[in-house]
Amino acid sequence: MPLRKGLPVRTPSCLCGADKGVRDLPSPSSAAVVDLQTSSSRPHRLSSQANREDIGDGSLPSVHTMGHNNVGNSLQRRARCWSIYRRRYNNWSEQVSSGICPSPHQQQDGDPATNGTHMSTRVRYTPYAIPPCHWRGNFQKQDQVQANMEGEQKPPERKMKGERQDETSGSWFKIIIPFGIKYEETWLLNLIQGQCSVPFTPVEFHYEKMQAQFFVENASIAFALKSVNGKIWDENNETVSVFVYPSDAPHSVQKELMSEKVEQTKLTMNKYVVSQQPLKSQRVPYASDLITHDIAMVLNPRNSMAASLQTHGKNISKVKSAGELDKSKSLQPEEMSANRSSLCTAFPDKSTNISSILELFPKLLCLDSQESPSPTSIGIAAHKKLPTCKGSFFGSDALKSLILQFLLQYYLIYDSGDRQGLLSAYHDEACFSLTTPFNPKDPALSSLCEYFKESRNLKKLKDPSLRVQLLKQTKCDIVRSLCVLPKTQHDLSFFVVDMWFQTEMMICFSVNGVFKEVEGMSQDSVRAFTRTFIATPVSNYSLCIVNDELFVRDASPKETQSTFSIPVPTHSCSSWPTLCQKQQEVVTS
Amino acid sequence: MRRFRRDWAHRRDSGRYQRRREYFDEPETSYSSSRGRPTREEVVTPPLPEQAASGSLMATSVDFKTHVDQACRAAEEFVNIYYETMDKRRRALTRLYLEKATLIWNGNVVTGLEALANFFEMLPSSEFQVNMLDCQPVHEQATQAQTTVLVVTSGIVKFDGNKQHYFNQNFLLTAQSTPNNTVWKIASDCFRFQDWAST
Repeated sequence: MPLRKGLPVRTPSCLCGADKGVRDLPSPSSAAVVDLQTSSSRPHRLSSQANREDIGDGSLPSVHTMGHNNVGNSLQRRARCWSIYRRRYNNWSEQVSSGICPSPHQQQDGDPATNGTHMSTRVRYTPYAIPPCHWRGNFQKQDQVQANMEGEQKPPERKMKGERQDETSGSWFKIIIPFGIKYEETWLLNLIQGQCSVPFTPVEFHYEKMQAQFFVENASIAFALKSVNGKIWDENNETVSVFVYPSDAPHSVQKELMSEKVEQTKLTMNKYVVSQQPLKSQRVPYASDLITHDIAMVLNPRNSMAASLQTHGKNISKVKSAGELDKSKSLQPEEMSANRSSLCTAFPDKSTNISSILELFPKLLCLDSQESPSPTSIGIAAHKKLPTCKGSFFGSDALKSLILQFLLQYYLIYDSGDRQGLLSAYHDEACFSLTTPFNPKDPALSSLCEYFKESRNLKKLKDPSLRVQLLKQTKCDIVRSLCVLPKTQHDLSFFVVDMWFQTEMMICFSVNGVFKEVEGMSQDSVRAFTRTFIATPVSNYSLCIVNDELFVRDASPKETQSTFSIPVPTHSCSSWPTLCQKQQEVVTS
Repeated sequence: MRRFRRDWAHRRDSGRYQRRREYFDEPETSYSSSRGRPTREEVVTPPLPEQAASGSLMATSVDFKTHVDQACRAAEEFVNIYYETMDKRRRALTRLYLEKATLIWNGNVVTGLEALANFFEMLPSSEFQVNMLDCQPVHEQATQAQTTVLVVTSGIVKFDGNKQHYFNQNFLLTAQSTPNNTVWKIASDCFRFQDWAST
């Protein structure tokens, strides 16, 4: 049975080892293997017309939602929560495969019968929900679907995939627009394209918390997009920031490849059975791993991907009983975990969101304050003792998630070298002031002079007009002041947060941490800071700063030593998979 | 124009300063308190100024300056009284807190007056030295027109039987206005040693 040509072979880096299994397969599939290696995955087009062509018979999960007329305005979009994301994705995914198997679900926005073009233009893509094709019931259908497609003429879009091979394919980049949740997709992409010297095709455009994100598969395009940063403004004349990071292939592309590989491997295996050739042992783990992955998802539909890593091992016996493969060699945990590294770049659902975010804040994980004992329980014997000092206090998981997400977003821009992007984080009439215990007479502290210029210490400052002047009001004044402060690199892993007041209308929290100055006279000086934010919520996952007070001091020798000992790259998403690897080690050990 | 404002501010301020000195020197002074003589453990400032008519730019800037002015007054008075009470009259400290106020003390959460009273009772005696003070009026969008001031302090504290620590502390003060004066109370309090992790 010949393998289809033009199948996507954008192999995620994590599966490179597994590729050997593919290559080792003997001819006649070797010719097809070569094809697989050279054709590229299907990129997305910006124009809606091309989109219709793509999606016409599409069964691929990755859909560019261009032309998606956001149902309602941006305010409505902000009000949506993850459950809606998932619902929509489920509906849409059902529809995608409904070209082949009918969907029981009604699409939220439109007529389920009008799948393909209309459907794809209305549903927001949610790559991080567990797709229904992996649900128990649907898995069977999907399997049949794939079986039915064997030997048939490939859908037009697959053909186009092969034709649209890009010579620079192989490197993916993630484009992040902080606070992009405020902007409608079409408008935003047009805005970026208008300033970008080369046409680009966004893959997997989606909103994640406060950001808008998409992928591009081309280093030169990514570079061109990077230079768009600082050159585009929204209707309020606020800068729209664009950040570019190297990334693994987007989830949908990886999934595509994996399901294709499963199919391909199945065919190959069948061929082996027919020809009665012995399976080479090193191929077995790879193939079974792919199938096991899908089965693990099926048998545990509610598990997040992180959890499925844990249950992976448990499902081995189920795989064996399925009788699909030669089980002469048992699956090795290290092989499994190596193949899973790419999966970790996603945040599949709410339950793992916090743990994923917390991976970036290891100190918060170990020192996170739990329910504190009431003072009376501390005991009379400890009359003269101070209560034990504890780490961060958030009040609730939801607040923790909200605050950490906000801080990630804020310091991403703050450390980026251009703080103009912070305009959208502040209220129009927000206030900001800073203080520093700098003593101009003490030469040892002279490196804090950049902060001292703006320091507003009412203990020393008595002139009422100066007191007003040094309190920046309006977001423009604030951001102007922030831009003047030295460039920084914050170590988010050492942030300690106290959430100390909260009502429906406001949340008040203080962040303690350290940062390094990355340029200027005091380059590499480590500072410690306490920053107090008062913010009002503007949606389920977005905060607007109304008050901001920054206290900066020199870090103590201990603080300097313990932080920044391991360089923490803050400008690259490639740090996320690394952290996920740590998570894997914990899981598999 | 700016000079005019500054002069005007000075005139107002000198009046306020005057009043405050009186308040400190002679606690028995009938300082326009609706409840009679104010106790030493109350943070009281003159009545809040009326909101200027909206619609004019000048009004807006005067409002802001007024708010800042008032916030600074409240903050300075408050800080003096709070730390003096903490050091010398610890049992009276809870009078400065609202009924449902919260304190987060080096990550320990204490809520409500009774818990606060117990907590302060249990803390060793203290000696505070405040080196830094900053304050901001909190935007009314967050407070729903309940006048609130963010106060940020920093300094050194020595608790009996313990070593000296640098500390950072934040307060949210809310105003309870009467026709004659404004009483400020702590809605929330966040305290942390700068070297909390090594204690």
